[in-house]
Amino acid sequence: MLRNLKFALNSAWQSFWRNLAVSLAAVLSITLILILAGINLLVGHALSQVLDGFRAKVSEISINVSDDTPLQSVYDFEQVLTADPRVASVRFITKDEALAQFKADPQNVVFAQQIEGNPLDAKLEVHVKNLSDVAGIDTVARRWSGVDPTDPTNYQGDFVNRMLELSSWLSLAGVALLLILMLVSVVIVMNTIRTAVYHRRKEIEVMKLVGATEWFVRGPFVIEGIMTGLIAASIALALLVVAYPPAVDRFKSDIGFIPLSYDPRFITILAQDLLLAGALLGALGSYIGVRRYVRI
Amino acid sequence: MGYTARDLATRARRRVTPQQETQPMVLTPDFESRPVISFQRVFKTYPTGTEALRDINLEVPEGDFLFLVGPSGAGKSTVVRLLIREEKPTKGKIFVDGIELGRMKRRKLPYYRRKVGLVFQDFKLLPNLTVYENVAFALRVLGEPDQHVRDRVAEALDTVSLSAKENTYPANLSGGEQQRVAIARALVHAPRFIIADEPTGNLDPATAWEIMQLFLRINARGATVVMATHNREIVDLLRRRVVAIDAGQIARDDRSGRYHDDVAKPQVRAQ
Repeated sequence: MLRNLKFALNSAWQSFWRNLAVSLAAVLSITLILILAGINLLVGHALSQVLDGFRAKVSEISINVSDDTPLQSVYDFEQVLTADPRVASVRFITKDEALAQFKADPQNVVFAQQIEGNPLDAKLEVHVKNLSDVAGIDTVARRWSGVDPTDPTNYQGDFVNRMLELSSWLSLAGVALLLILMLVSVVIVMNTIRTAVYHRRKEIEVMKLVGATEWFVRGPFVIEGIMTGLIAASIALALLVVAYPPAVDRFKSDIGFIPLSYDPRFITILAQDLLLAGALLGALGSYIGVRRYVRI
Repeated sequence: MGYTARDLATRARRRVTPQQETQPMVLTPDFESRPVISFQRVFKTYPTGTEALRDINLEVPEGDFLFLVGPSGAGKSTVVRLLIREEKPTKGKIFVDGIELGRMKRRKLPYYRRKVGLVFQDFKLLPNLTVYENVAFALRVLGEPDQHVRDRVAEALDTVSLSAKENTYPANLSGGEQQRVAIARALVHAPRFIIADEPTGNLDPATAWEIMQLFLRINARGATVVMATHNREIVDLLRRRVVAIDAGQIARDDRSGRYHDDVAKPQVRAQ
């Protein structure tokens, strides 16, 4: 077994160097593809980071309380909300607290100096468990007698729904793109390995005649494919790791409102994904490429 | 597994001939025992519609030395291809060593091929490997341990008298030497069957004769030899079993035959 592996590794290595031009072309193409795949993963990750922040924000709804609502009524409604299974937590914020919060925000410094009295409503800040339940809570709130009729809640249903829809479309597009990229790299490996098979057809013929098993014939090619995939994945990974932090910085300054951040933990995940993908794509491509020719 | 004297004794009776000093030992196969190769009503039609073999019945006892003769396109090569299971019969059964080749599973095929040593007209040596490596290749493919490979290759090269050229590349060898390397490779895993397709086809008469001596010696050690050939001189000189194939059928099967049927083709003997 070990001897066979040694033989396979040796011939894979030889074959890789013997057809260096073709091997390098394959490595380069797959590197490009894996870089694209890596960017896809990184963008997807950044997007989900942004969405997570966004979700946390929109899973909160604040219900504005009209000034003439008796405090008891507010407490009663708070009880009703707390008892609702969809609700995670409820917090009552008085008019004074609301004003203090408003003034504390540095963005509002100038504006805060100009207001007199307290134009702000008291509010109930409700945290729902599921983002999709925000709409339900909004309906409940609007039916409540104590709600401020001019500005009942801060819920912007359409916006939330559209964001959610967009994010699911984006992840679908990401997956589709990944699939296409993988298909292309399998085809590239397949053709590279066919060239290698062509160069070694005499050897394969002799192997079959002296009684080599199909896996013995196939092994070196599959290893060559894995090697091609791994080399390409390493190069792609190195480039992505180098380019990731500056790219994040660049985008951060361009589009400040999106909370993009450099996530070093994701590098490990990216490395695993790319190396695994490289090895698997290489193995699959060469297996398919060589299958027909090693049939005894 | 090598062939011991006892193997030889049990496999065949020796026929002592006056030329034993100069000619290799000759075995008489036991035609009464169960054949190791048997074709039973074998037909082969290629997908193109070419009818290569029609109703072939053939039995080869262990230790036999059989020449397959006949004009080009008669079906000799098809018999060889069927024997090494490159092709399956369209109809009929082929048994080798108790295995029915047509029904053998594909993954068993490599193990069957290891029982067979193959020699071809075009040698099929790997040009980027030395003589030693070419012979060793047949064992490496089987995953044999290094020491074992070294011993067996040395033995096989000694048998074909090429020990001195083990580091030479095939391109620097004569045709006869290349064929001897191919024979060493066919021998190195001690196969029970040697199947040769025109092994002397590319060689001059003297070299062809040398190669034949080798095959006879291998046969004398107990291996069953089936050889497709066009070499009339050798067939006529050796007077071994001759199976003549013509238009896909067995035209003649003589235990001690000649290349041409003398009665049918007297003009050949006249020259």
